[in-house]
Amino acid sequence: MACPYLAYRTQAGDAQFDEPRAYCTVADRFVQAMRADICNDRYGLAHDEHCEIYLGCADDGGGGTDQRRDRSGGNP
Amino acid sequence: MSYEAFLADEPVIVTAALTGGVHGKEANPNLPETPEEIGQAAAAVEDAGASVVHLHARRPNGERSFETDRFQEIDDAVRRHADDVIVQHSTGGTGAPADVRHLPLRTDPPPEMASLDMGPLNRYDHLTSENSRALIDSLHAEMVDRGIKPELEVFNDGHLNELYGLCERRDLADPVYATLIFGPGTLSRPRPRNLLNAIDSLPDDAAFNTIGFGRHQLPFATMGILFGGHVRVGLEDNVYYRRGELAESNAQLVERVVRVARELGREVASPSQARDLLGLRE
Ligand code: SF4
Repeated sequence: MACPYLAYRTQAGDAQFDEPRAYCTVADRFVQAMRADICNDRYGLAHDEHCEIYLGCADDGGGGTDQRRDRSGGNP
Repeated sequence: MSYEAFLADEPVIVTAALTGGVHGKEANPNLPETPEEIGQAAAAVEDAGASVVHLHARRPNGERSFETDRFQEIDDAVRRHADDVIVQHSTGGTGAPADVRHLPLRTDPPPEMASLDMGPLNRYDHLTSENSRALIDSLHAEMVDRGIKPELEVFNDGHLNELYGLCERRDLADPVYATLIFGPGTLSRPRPRNLLNAIDSLPDDAAFNTIGFGRHQLPFATMGILFGGHVRVGLEDNVYYRRGELAESNAQLVERVVRVARELGREVASPSQARDLLGLRE
């Protein structure tokens, strides 16, 4: 089951896309492709296990942040 | 391979990592995501001097895809637009199960090259891309069966040990081609002496490719050129041209590193020369 905070949008702020893209309503931003698999619970990934934003929300009752993007570099 | 290769005027192979599988257009709207965009980008970087394109596949909305059919669409577009560029598929895929990681190897024809991650790396705060030895061996076996040259991705010094282990477990065709990767997180710290140490630690006669993530892309490419290696640039690894200024295209990043190579006295390899250097023609 996908994360309850996941939405699909074509537009937010200055960003605009042809296809609806994964958008995190907690962090208020479009999410990275790799994170979208977590948001959608694909490939055995799970939002309630692997997403620090979701887990931060669960911990503090809301208001998690997405200031920390993936710091491990690309996906060569 | 070493500084001797620089002195011997060996041409430098420029790989362009066009799209990647972590960030996408939300980070830089100029990053190509669709097969048509990737095909056009491949032609542009080939014109700029790249001889290899490193490819990931995406769904129409930019999310990751590992499906053979999606890689096939991309390869078809690359071959339609580009001339002779070498196609290299990623087999990376944080979180994706082992059987899914094999799918990019199964296009017709197979890619001439494919990446092979040498070990684990952390992602975000709660995720690790495991890259077990069993998976590495099974991916390598399929690459051998399908005539695909592995590009061994060394994210840190521990992965150098894993590379030696792979060489002991399996028969790798010459030259062993290792990509030395520098950046944040689990990667080797991006410091010049760490690149030199990694080069010194490679097996004799191995060839190496150099990646610096983000702002380290240009300095590590420059060092890779000087130290006799090959280089990878592109929007997968770095979305900026300079601090605060998004890159306009993959070709813009390739053009810059080609200028640097020529200023330093190294010509860039054509796809044909790259095939010879990497032993892609048997
Ligand atoms: S980023 Fe995390 S919190 Fe936001 S939608 Fe995805 S899984 Fe949910």
